Amino acid sequence: MASQQDIKRRIRSVRSTYKITKAMELVSAAKLRRSQQRIVAMRPYADRMLELITSTAQTLGKIHGLPLLEDRETHTVALLPLTGDRGLAGAFNAQVLRRSFVLEHDLQAQGIEVKWLVSGKRGRSSLKFRKRDIDTAWTGFSDQPEFAEAQAMAHHLAALYASGASDAVLLVYNRFGSAVVQTVVEQEILPLPRQVLKGFEEGSMPAPARGEVLYEPDPGLILERLIPAYLETELFRALLESAASEHGARMSAMRNASRNAEELIDLLTLIMNRARQAAITQEILEVVAGADAL
Amino acid sequence: MAERTPFSVSVVTPERAVFDGEAEMLVVPGEAGEIGVLARHVALEALLESGLTRIHLPGGEKIELATGPGFFEVHASRALVLVDDAVDVRETDPTRATAQLEEARAELARLESGEVEGDRWRIEQKIRHAENQLASGGHSR
Repeated sequence: MASQQDIKRRIRSVRSTYKITKAMELVSAAKLRRSQQRIVAMRPYADRMLELITSTAQTLGKIHGLPLLEDRETHTVALLPLTGDRGLAGAFNAQVLRRSFVLEHDLQAQGIEVKWLVSGKRGRSSLKFRKRDIDTAWTGFSDQPEFAEAQAMAHHLAALYASGASDAVLLVYNRFGSAVVQTVVEQEILPLPRQVLKGFEEGSMPAPARGEVLYEPDPGLILERLIPAYLETELFRALLESAASEHGARMSAMRNASRNAEELIDLLTLIMNRARQAAITQEILEVVAGADAL
Repeated sequence: MAERTPFSVSVVTPERAVFDGEAEMLVVPGEAGEIGVLARHVALEALLESGLTRIHLPGGEKIELATGPGFFEVHASRALVLVDDAVDVRETDPTRATAQLEEARAELARLESGEVEGDRWRIEQKIRHAENQLASGGHSR
């Protein structure tokens, strides 16, 4: 049996681990709250943006000649998993990557070439480890993405699509459900889904008398600017969802770790007390035996 | 002068709703020149460039925002300003603006060296927006 000293040392080590996991849990909880607020805060912008696109597209009637809307045969697909910069977040990073690799496998089975792009250090190192060629990696902002970062990413994706280097862009990320529920989703963000332009629920909103709207400059030019902005908004939303999921996943993972540490401390304390009692009993027995022998 | 009828104005960015309330007059930096809007303006949709957005509140007060590029819509007596970024000129943060400026300049340099492809107009707008903030910050301090 381990000596009391050994058990004490183990308890101390588990206790310090507990302090770390507990602190991480609290930090993640605070960050989670902030991320959730940011998701809520960007909603008005995203909703209005969509309305604006829909109404502009409706006025324009037929849309053509916009490179980001062009549908073409798929030969190359760009996969963009959104991961975190740090681990210790349960299945958060692993499940996104797992889904991405499944997608890669499926696409390649159909004879489609896969191009890798990635956000987050975890994803980057995992792809490197698996010897994938990474076109572009964005890192350093996974837990607090800024709109400027989404813009830079959207820009790169748009260029990739417009130049024909890739015929579709698939985003794989954790959608935020709650602190304990994050679901991996894949979203084709390029080419832009047609329904965006038609309005999600066609006919649900009374078509306003759009004929009297003044456009400055003409609606075609406005739409040309709106579409990249929509892409940026969608990416930003995905980044925020992923950030909130990361904090949620880390919080639950750390809560479990803290609970396990507590249980372990209880168990070890019990063992130690037992060992101490055994030592005391032993000592008494020895003293008594010694006294009897006199 | 007769009282002007107030109308509802919202200024939103992807980060937050910057302003949501009533105003008597709104002036935004349209791409083809400033656009002034009063209540009962005809429905309008416009592109915005970086510049100053001025909101005249009922009662004579005025809010000035340094805004990035974006979109502007007036519809059914409601004005909507959708921009990348908006900062009240009285609350500009020189550190943040300087960082934005440096980032945009670096991006422009990368673009000019042909390292990346990009939309030159956007980057120039970013630089303008950062410079606007820095300039207005100087006045208020």
